[in-house]
Parts: sequence; structure tokens; C-alpha cells
Amino acid sequence: MNGAPLLRLEGVRKSFRGVHAVTDASFAVARGSITGLIGPNGSGKSTTIDCLSGFQRPDAGRVLLDGQDITGLPAHLVARAGLRRSFQQVRLFDALSLRDNLMQAAQAADGVGWLGAVLRSPALRRAELAAAERAWLLLDQIGLTRLAESPAGALSYGQKKLAALAAALMPRPRLVVLDEPMAGVNPSRIVEVEAILRRLNAAGETFLIVEHNVDCIMRLCHEVVVFEQGRTLTSGPPAMVRDDPRVLEAYLGVPAAA
Amino acid sequence: MLRHLPPLLALLAAALLPALGASPYVLGIGITACIFTVGAASLNLIYGYAGLLSFAHLAFWGIGGYCTALGAVSLGIGFWGGLALAGLLNAALAVLVGIPALRLNRHSFVIVTLSFSLLTALVARDWVAVTGGPLGIPGLPAPELFGLSLRSPPRFYWLALAFAALSLALLRAVTTSRIGRTLKALRQNEPLAQAQGIAPTPYKLLAFAISAALCGMAGGMQVFYMQVVDPLILDFYYFQTFLVMMIVGGAGHFWAVVIAGIVMTVLPELLRATAELRMVIYGALLLFAMVAMPGGVAGALESWRDARRRATAERPDPVTAAAS
Ligand SMILES: Nc1ncnc2c1ncn2[C@@H]1O[C@H](COP(=O)(O)OP(=O)(O)O)[C@@H](O)[C@H]1O
Ligand SMILES: [Mg+2]
Repeated sequence: MNGAPLLRLEGVRKSFRGVHAVTDASFAVARGSITGLIGPNGSGKSTTIDCLSGFQRPDAGRVLLDGQDITGLPAHLVARAGLRRSFQQVRLFDALSLRDNLMQAAQAADGVGWLGAVLRSPALRRAELAAAERAWLLLDQIGLTRLAESPAGALSYGQKKLAALAAALMPRPRLVVLDEPMAGVNPSRIVEVEAILRRLNAAGETFLIVEHNVDCIMRLCHEVVVFEQGRTLTSGPPAMVRDDPRVLEAYLGVPAAA
Repeated sequence: MLRHLPPLLALLAAALLPALGASPYVLGIGITACIFTVGAASLNLIYGYAGLLSFAHLAFWGIGGYCTALGAVSLGIGFWGGLALAGLLNAALAVLVGIPALRLNRHSFVIVTLSFSLLTALVARDWVAVTGGPLGIPGLPAPELFGLSLRSPPRFYWLALAFAALSLALLRAVTTSRIGRTLKALRQNEPLAQAQGIAPTPYKLLAFAISAALCGMAGGMQVFYMQVVDPLILDFYYFQTFLVMMIVGGAGHFWAVVIAGIVMTVLPELLRATAELRMVIYGALLLFAMVAMPGGVAGALESWRDARRRATAERPDPVTAAAS
């Protein structure tokens, strides 16, 4: 968890016609960490994720992925650089089966071109075999194996969230960014999902997680970044952030008694 | 390999038609069915899979017709050279038209492709030096294979059948590959596909180019069947026919559109429908399909099957019911 950060944001700013959604997002995600991003509703967390994943072009500031400047890069190139994200409003290919959703998620990363795809080259078959194996593994971990052949649109909201998580993990990205992955997930499942994330993290995966469930963030994360009104308020280990009077104020809206 | 069996058997049966003593009239219907089915199936790739409604296919069809004819008549590259050129030229035109057409959104795509077809019709009529103007280029020679003229109905029928078989095989290979899956994924949720590293425009352009090339070559086949190319090749009738075949069969369903292409060529002939009546029939079918079966016949069958499956799933399983 040492060395240069895997992701760094420097003074990222984004407004929408006068709405200052993000005024100064500056934080880092250490390689090998689970970093949490919390803040009140409307504090600019999702917009920040859009900025760092190429879905919004920042008005100012820089985004560095593993030292490489990816500011303003289109989303598909950010993805190919090794950053995968999920969406707060869950997105899946509703008419494709759950399994095909996972297979589709891995495809741009395996380097097989159009010709190989049409001619069913040996490289394609190898890549698909590997992807199919990983899909089964992930489906097993999120407990949705029996729904593998169902259209993704038929899943419950919580199941969709889990499926989107699995899809983001499919290509073994360098960094996984999750926007409220636990929202709508059956509470009895949350601890299991935490265990999955911890296990993947132990295997070397880095996570940046926006989550409303603060308890979950405090249990899971090595580092927590707190947002308030579009800017980074503070960041640090969970225990430190929890006791920060400014955080209490941002969340409760009252100045903490000194 | 077994999944290739039914289409191969169907192809074999179709190839035996002349040997079974089919009349030139029947073979003519067969030729039209082959050519129109490729037109409908090519439209299916860009609309049924990629979700882009292209009116440019009328232009591709017409340009393919002129290009193949000019190849044989003026450029000295013969029917085959002209046909190949028609494919290449239309693929290139699709990219050129597709880039600005895809700039904005799916609606702008409709507008730009429609304008392209209207413009092409103007050029065909007014660029007299090349297209022969309203008179067109009459008296197209017979295609030849190894010095053998392919004019007689059985031979031209076999040519059209081979053309359709190869075109459909290519379309099938593309749509069943993960390119087909990606096209469907892009139509369903483009931002998600982008978040997974897919650049949308190249995929759409690829589908558009393949679709344009095949539709253009089908146009080349058509004018050599009629032995003349004139501005009537750009009549909206052709596009409407392909569109209705695709919509009624079920956009996005490969074999359904192929079958619709064949049935909807043969059926009006059985009814001895005139061209005008045929337009009325197609219009009525289109209206009926849009109201009663928005997913076409294939879509309707699918939802019926899904509903039945759900009904059986809800019934208690006799085995577990007995065991408990
Ligand atoms: N596309 C947009 N257009 C206009 N305003 C937006 C847009 N996206 C977000 N906002 C505004 O930016 C602010 C931050 O929103 P968001 O990033 O979704 O916050 P969070 O994810 O922390 O709840 C909100 O006031 C929201 O209304
Ligand atoms: Mg949000």
C-alpha cells in the first residue's frame, strides 16, 4: 500500500450551467487500498466519479491514473487504461443474460480484434474460455449462479447492483470505482459482499467506493475521503475521520461542541 | 456443426428447384426472393442489431446497381469486378456518410441518411454523362462464369442463390459473433458499453459498412437481373419492401427476417398482386405489425413462449410436489 498512488485527483472542478457540482476534488487512492468516498447527498461524489472515469470533462484540474494523465480522456479509453466503474443508477444490458453481461464486460480488455471475433480465432476461444471461467467464479461469489441465463432486466434491484459489481470486476482492472454498490442490496447480503471485496483486495485489487452506508465504509476502508459541497473536506483512516468535528458538522449540519 | 444443418438443407432444396422443372416464372420469383432477402437482412444488421434506422440503404442499393453496371459496361472490369467495386464503394460511402450521421444521435442518423438517398436519386437522374440520366443504361450484358453465360433463368437463379447464401452466411457470422452482441449492448446501454472500454462509433460504422456493401451488391444483382439500370432503381418501393420484411419478420431476429423476405416475395405473387396492390398490402402489413406485433412475428412468438414458460414455472413441479 505504499509508493505512488494509483489514482490522484488534483483540484478537479465541474459545474453544470451555474451549478457548482464539484469545486475542488483533490485526493489520492493508494495502490492496493480500499478507499471510501463519503459525503452528504449532492456533495458531488457521483460527478467526481464521472470526471475521473471520462464521463464528464473536468472544467479544471487533473486526473492521474498510475502517473498517466487521463484528464478529459473519453470513457472507453479510461476503461482500457484499467479503470472500471459502476453507476449509482445501476446499468446493465437488460436484454442480455446475466452471463452475457459479464462476458461482454470482459471483451474490450482481451485484445481480440474484429477479424478474430468473426473468424472465431484460437485467441478468441482462449479469451472466451478464460472469461467464462471468471464469470462463473464471480457469479458464485455474488450468489447468482442460478440466474446466469436469466435476462439481466429480470433481476431485482439489489441483484442488479451485485451483477454490476461482478461486471466491473470481470477484466481484473487496476482500479474499481463503485458508486453506492450496497444501495438496495439485501442487508443480509452486505456482509458477504464486504467479504468478497476484502478478499479481492487481499489479492491485490484496488477499490474506490462511494457508499451511503457509513458503517460499511468504516468497516471496509483503509482510507476515507469526505466530501462537502463539492470539495474534499478531509481524508484519513476511518477512526480519524469519524472523530473529526468538521465531518460531524458536515453530516449533522451543526457545529460540534468544542 | 449440427446447427448449420437446417439452413444447409434448405439451401440444397432451393438449389434443386431448377432440376425439379421449375418454370422461368417460378425461378424469377426465386431470384427476387434471394436478392430482396439480402436487402432485408442487411437492413436488419444496422437497424435490428445496431438500432440505427438507415434510409441510406435505398441509395446503397441504387449506387450498387449503377456501379456494377458501369463496371461491366464502361470500366471493363466485367460483372464480377463491378459487383466487387459496388461492395467496396458502398462500404466506403457508408463510413463517409456514417461519421457525420452518427455525430449527434439516432435521430440525426435518420435525417442524414434520408438526405443522402434523396441526393443520390437526384444525381442518378441529372448526371447524364455517367448514369445515362432518365434513360439509364439499358442492355446490360449477361454475367459470365468461366466463359459460361449466366443469362438463362436456371443459371441466374443459381447465381442469385449463391450470392444470397454467401451474404447471409457473412451476416450470420457477424451477428452471432461478439460483434453482434456488442451492437445489441450498445443499443441497450451505450454508457455502460463505453465504461467497459467499447468505442461506440467504430462498431456502428462497421455494421453500417457491411450492411451497405451487401445491400449495394444486392442492387447490382437486381439490375443485371432486369438487364437495365435507370433512376427507377432508386424508387422508394425497394426500401419499403426491405423495411416491411424486416419489421414484420422481427428486427434483430436473423432467421425470422430471412423467412419474411422469402415469404413476402412469394406471397404477393401467389395473390397475383400488381405493384400498386403490393404496396397497399405491404403498407397494411406494416401497420398491422406495428400495432399488433411491435417485435414482428419473431417478437410475438418469443413473448408467447416466455409467457408459456412462466406459466409452467408457476405450476408446482409434480416431482417435488409428490416428494413433499
Ligand atoms: N448533469 C447534471 N446537470 C446539472 N446538475 C447536475 C448534473 N449532475 C449533477 N448535478 C448537480 O451536482 C450536484 C452534485 O451531484 P452529485 O455529484 O450527484 O452528488 P452526490 O453523488 O454526492 O450525491 C447536485 O446539486 C446535482 O444536482
Ligand atoms: Mg451520487
